[in-house]
Amino acid sequence: MLILLAAIFALHILGVILLLVATIDNAWWMTDTISTDVWARWILENGKWNYTDLPTGSHYPQDYLQAVQASSVLACIFSILGIFVFVAQLFTLDKGKRFTISGIFQLLACLCIMIAASIYTDRFHIDEKDGWYGHCFILAWIAFALTFISSIVYFVLRKKTA
Amino acid sequence: MRVPEQSQAIVIYTGWERHALLGSDIRLSCSFFSWRWTSEDVTFSWTYRPDGSRDSISVFHYTGGMAYVDNKGPFRDRLEFVGNPARRDGSILLKNLDFSDNGTFTCDAKNPPDIVGRPSSVRLLVFEKVPIQAGVITGSIIGAVLGLLVLIVVIYYLMRFLVARRVFSLSVSKHGKKKKEGSQQRQGPVPPADPSKPVRRMAAGARSNQQQRTVVRKTEGVGGGGEEGPGRVLMTIELELTRKNGEKGPGGEGGMGRSAAPGFLSRLANQLTFK
Repeated sequence: MLILLAAIFALHILGVILLLVATIDNAWWMTDTISTDVWARWILENGKWNYTDLPTGSHYPQDYLQAVQASSVLACIFSILGIFVFVAQLFTLDKGKRFTISGIFQLLACLCIMIAASIYTDRFHIDEKDGWYGHCFILAWIAFALTFISSIVYFVLRKKTA
Repeated sequence: MRVPEQSQAIVIYTGWERHALLGSDIRLSCSFFSWRWTSEDVTFSWTYRPDGSRDSISVFHYTGGMAYVDNKGPFRDRLEFVGNPARRDGSILLKNLDFSDNGTFTCDAKNPPDIVGRPSSVRLLVFEKVPIQAGVITGSIIGAVLGLLVLIVVIYYLMRFLVARRVFSLSVSKHGKKKKEGSQQRQGPVPPADPSKPVRRMAAGARSNQQQRTVVRKTEGVGGGGEEGPGRVLMTIELELTRKNGEKGPGGEGGMGRSAAPGFLSRLANQLTFK
């Protein structure tokens, strides 16, 4: 039973870590000389990586970019709040009840990161052939799966009645 | 107080930078501060230097009570004087802006004998679309969602607080029968409830700690206009305030602690199940 609690907690924490890395690090799209993302762009010049602003223009819509930023930040916030809510519910929940509110927070985090990753997939780098999706993008989708599983676990988990 | 004879510096104010949409009009303001009274020979001059060029041309001049606008240059028929020299305002209005109007406008004002001063410049930027400032959308989305979350939490706790205080209680059931004990208050004639309408009752659902039950029943009937003797019941509102027995959780604390697993975390973990 302790293993169960530890596993649930570890799953949640792993989700939080993946979300934080995906949001903070600038590596959603990479080419040989560019590592770019939702906050800024790293350009490799003469062997040095330079930190530059993201380009503006019709191929880089500003409003969608800010939507991706906002929803990935919200996903992190909901997941972190979810940890505290889960710990609080561990102590205060009545017997026989389910961890619904923790599940809701994780589900919201899952929803937000799905929105962020979907908008990014659909609106950015659509025609660029040389380049590949960086580790932040992949981590964002993995975090989506993990938070979804985590929220299902919270919806099914119960406190014993005896 | 004796005013010294030499002229003192005049200070000219314009904006720093102005943004405008393509095709719109913009008012470039220019004003000055001077220790002297506004003279009748006050003059205003505007010059324009396009972006990327080093020459400036004069586009407006006000002197001797007359305003002279550009009639040959890039702003012919587009420039208008909208200032009030008596109030030290030398503003001009540019109409129907184009991208070629990007540049720096310099205002120079002179208030004789106060002529020593530094002209002030305002930079004009013409946009096709007003650019979204970085982070505005991001911040507003995050703020709105978090604010909504806080609002929901506050409302939830407010409702729980009100229910616990017995201001009102929440449980909606359709025409069930309830046992009533204790005093009842009746007002006026009490006709039987209209069976065709489901009676909405509010019954106590709060957890509280004592055993007394109080029932307040309010029935509203309409005294009829004439034909029917007893009034017709339009609505019956029953408020039942119940305080239940205080009870601890079944089994109390000892239920799961009895097994041989010591430790606080183990006890916590043993409370979880999937079934």
